[in-house]
Amino acid sequence: MSLASSIRTIAVWEMNRSMTTMGRSVLPLAAGLLALLVLVTAFAAQSGVHMQDGIYRIGIDDPEVARIVTPDSRFTVELADGHTLWNDRFAYDILVLSGEVYAADTDKGRAALTALRRDYDAYVSRVAAAQPDLFAGYPLWIDLEYVRSEIDFLATQSGQQVGAPADTRRPPAPSGPVEAVTPPPATVPVSENDLRQHLAETGSQSPLSRYTGIISSSSATDGLRTPAELSPPLPYDALILVFVFIFPLYFTSQFFMMSVMNERIGRAGEALLSTPVRPAAIVVGKAVPYLAIMLLVSAAITVFIGAPLAILLPLFPVILFFLANALIIGMAARSFKELSFVSIFFSTLATSYLFFPTVFANTHVISIISPLTLVVLQIQGEGFTAVEYIYSTALFFLTSAVLIYAGTVNFREERLFSEKPLTSRLVDFVAGVIGRDHPHLSLFLLSAFTIPFVFMVQMMTLVLFFNIPMPLSLVILTVSAAFIEEVAKSVGLYAIARERPGFLTVKNLLLGAVAIGAGFLVGEKLLLFATLSQITESIFGSVLFLSLQVLWMPLLLHIGGVLITGTFLLVGGRRAYVPGLVVASVVHSLYNLYFLLGGLS
Amino acid sequence: MNARHIGLVAKKELSGLSSEKTIVFAILLQVFIAMFSSFLMVGLTAMYDPEALEGYSTATYGVGYAGADSPLIDEFEKRHDLVLHRMDLSPALAALRERRVAAVIYAPDTPPDAEGPVAITLYLIQNDLQSSVINVKIKEVLQGYERELREVRADRMVSFPVGLNFPDAGNAESFYEFVYGLLLPILVLLPAIISAALIIDLITEEYQRQTLETLLSTPVTFTEMVFGKILACWAIVPVQAGAWILLLGLNGIMVGNAVPILLHVAAAGLFLILLGAATALHYRERTSAQFVFSTAVVVLFLLVMAVPYNPLNLVVRLAVETAGPVHWLILALVTVATALLAGAVAAYGRRVARAPPATAR
Repeated sequence: MSLASSIRTIAVWEMNRSMTTMGRSVLPLAAGLLALLVLVTAFAAQSGVHMQDGIYRIGIDDPEVARIVTPDSRFTVELADGHTLWNDRFAYDILVLSGEVYAADTDKGRAALTALRRDYDAYVSRVAAAQPDLFAGYPLWIDLEYVRSEIDFLATQSGQQVGAPADTRRPPAPSGPVEAVTPPPATVPVSENDLRQHLAETGSQSPLSRYTGIISSSSATDGLRTPAELSPPLPYDALILVFVFIFPLYFTSQFFMMSVMNERIGRAGEALLSTPVRPAAIVVGKAVPYLAIMLLVSAAITVFIGAPLAILLPLFPVILFFLANALIIGMAARSFKELSFVSIFFSTLATSYLFFPTVFANTHVISIISPLTLVVLQIQGEGFTAVEYIYSTALFFLTSAVLIYAGTVNFREERLFSEKPLTSRLVDFVAGVIGRDHPHLSLFLLSAFTIPFVFMVQMMTLVLFFNIPMPLSLVILTVSAAFIEEVAKSVGLYAIARERPGFLTVKNLLLGAVAIGAGFLVGEKLLLFATLSQITESIFGSVLFLSLQVLWMPLLLHIGGVLITGTFLLVGGRRAYVPGLVVASVVHSLYNLYFLLGGLS
Repeated sequence: MNARHIGLVAKKELSGLSSEKTIVFAILLQVFIAMFSSFLMVGLTAMYDPEALEGYSTATYGVGYAGADSPLIDEFEKRHDLVLHRMDLSPALAALRERRVAAVIYAPDTPPDAEGPVAITLYLIQNDLQSSVINVKIKEVLQGYERELREVRADRMVSFPVGLNFPDAGNAESFYEFVYGLLLPILVLLPAIISAALIIDLITEEYQRQTLETLLSTPVTFTEMVFGKILACWAIVPVQAGAWILLLGLNGIMVGNAVPILLHVAAAGLFLILLGAATALHYRERTSAQFVFSTAVVVLFLLVMAVPYNPLNLVVRLAVETAGPVHWLILALVTVATALLAGAVAAYGRRVARAPPATAR
């Protein structure tokens, strides 16, 4: 059988099987639940979300004022005469007495004050919008224009200041050429009716319409807005998009994960493995139906929300990534609960990795490292370039390819049906990738291919340690970055030492260390210069990816780190692996800190 | 049902959890979610340039001003963190491109009391976090100007808003509502959801691995086995939720009424776990059960959140001490519903036990 035809056979078989186990009993109920979901969503839109109801107590002496806060369910309003209220003043977060607002001097009081101020602003806007003379109510209209700056934040490296200018008393003069600009017109280019309509639209928003209306924002007013509508471009709405697209993908990949796991329960997959079909065909054939379903679901959602189909392009590597991870998790988990926890943990990590840069979609170049940013940009109608596409999806394509390769190589009886714990199975998978004939070449390639994973994990640590105060977070980042790199470099050596204890001789250790160090450096360089140069230039980036000075120093560092861990392995056996890792990480961190401090001063 | 048998099964499942170290993943997951949420709030400002974190409060930003004289200039004079530079529009925009000013404003020659609107053009740098900071500051200035213009044109208005005098408490944006109104309920209910997913795994695994018969050859009955697993999943819920409340307290976020909150969480958690158990008993196959259950949970949560005085809201109110005794009533209602569900699951379990598992593979 040719590879293509066996893939097709497996795919059709997989399709039939999953339809019969799942189909009849689940699909009707799922459809019912989906209908219920629509109903409940409508109900929630009607009734609002009652999560923060009644968290503030407010005392008011004027029914007119009380009407301002009644629509806001966060406030529990107590309407009484001023004297009574003043006597119980400590029971309230806010008191409004004859037009004067008093707030409790606590965090809660201040939060309540902010909420009240927003409500009051909205109320003033409502009154203004009701004026027959629109331009008496709304006398000021802002046209917001964005200017592209030629200096991006690489500028910090070349000594330019990105923040506020030091001397703000003198009018700054541009050093570059000045383009002549025609001043904008003094009148509003939009009719009064359109402006009224715009106010009516933004004024009558229910809490949920913010989310349902993200795709179709009205452009009738051409970006004109009132001062109250000026808001910093932080798209929390992107979060909603993430859930709309990622949730179905996550579920479909769960089905694939379970299908892989099912092959292992009671050695059910033994028959399949004994056929002349190659493991690659089995893996790909089993994955193809799920890939197709995920693409179809994404396309359906895209069409449903009326977004351009081009957003499937950046979603494709994400789908691959989910499938590749599902394959590995399905092959490695020992029990259902392990499968659940590992997959939930993985999907949370992946979702936040996808989501967090998207927050900056309109604010910062760093956001491009997530393919979802491209989705957001495409939906906003800005589109993306081929370079941006490569930049943001390269890590996903690379890691998926590596994982699928590792899964295929290890899709064998002795790996699938062993009862070892999770970590040692994963080490087995790594050992499976190392070829017997050219171990050093394998080590070189292996360490080069760990780079995308190292970057992904380090990006996550960047997220995690962000809210720790500055000097401490830098130290923790440095140490954890060093540790992650040392683990990645030594994992091949560890796997070999476990599988073939005789391999680890002094000569092989030296050769292996050189191979790993060189591979790591080559992979790092390739990926960095191809994609991540933007991040590496920020101060956090310089911690993570410090090893970018002259070539021989990081090379020596990488080789040295592997040698330390390897020597511990050689002398103390596998039990000395963790101490070896710690020592190597300490050395690595010291190196990083030395250059970081040198670089900072 | 024999309580000792249930206890034995629960103990076995709990030791299985700790020996497989899967619970570590569950805890890691929650820690990660907590850290990630706080990153979203605090880290946003720090992403651009860590030094700017302290710089945001003291830095002075230059703003280019082009066009005609207007009262807007006086509004800017009131700010100590914004410095206005009178410039021509073209050099001002060039300076903005070089980041020598943080924003440029162009004001046309419209008198404040004109018939039409005053149309101001605001230029900011695209793709820039600093622009977000400037945006907020300039918004305040423009709102002040808007108030002033409204006063000038007051004779053309037909109705006026009630005046309120706010104290000057600064504009420090606190995360109070986020922490108490969103993070806390999520954190204390996450363990319940995790446990509900866990019970499905525990029950379907017995079917799919065909280990059920071995288990039932012991004196333990089928229903006792199911409830032993439910007990194990339930036991870890208040422990994790309590740990969260403690951790938040250590972080200076004081949560009031910890015991009532834990009672609410325990009741709601048991309800979810029973729901999961019922789904698992029905399908006896992990993928189907997990899929149906998670969809059902989404529907359930949306529905619950849309109802006033729902348990999530009560957790929030309890934490900020505005709950009132009505929460005991809701707790009693949830407990009764949970007890009814427990009875139903027990009855269903007895029925399933009599019929041998024919659908399991």
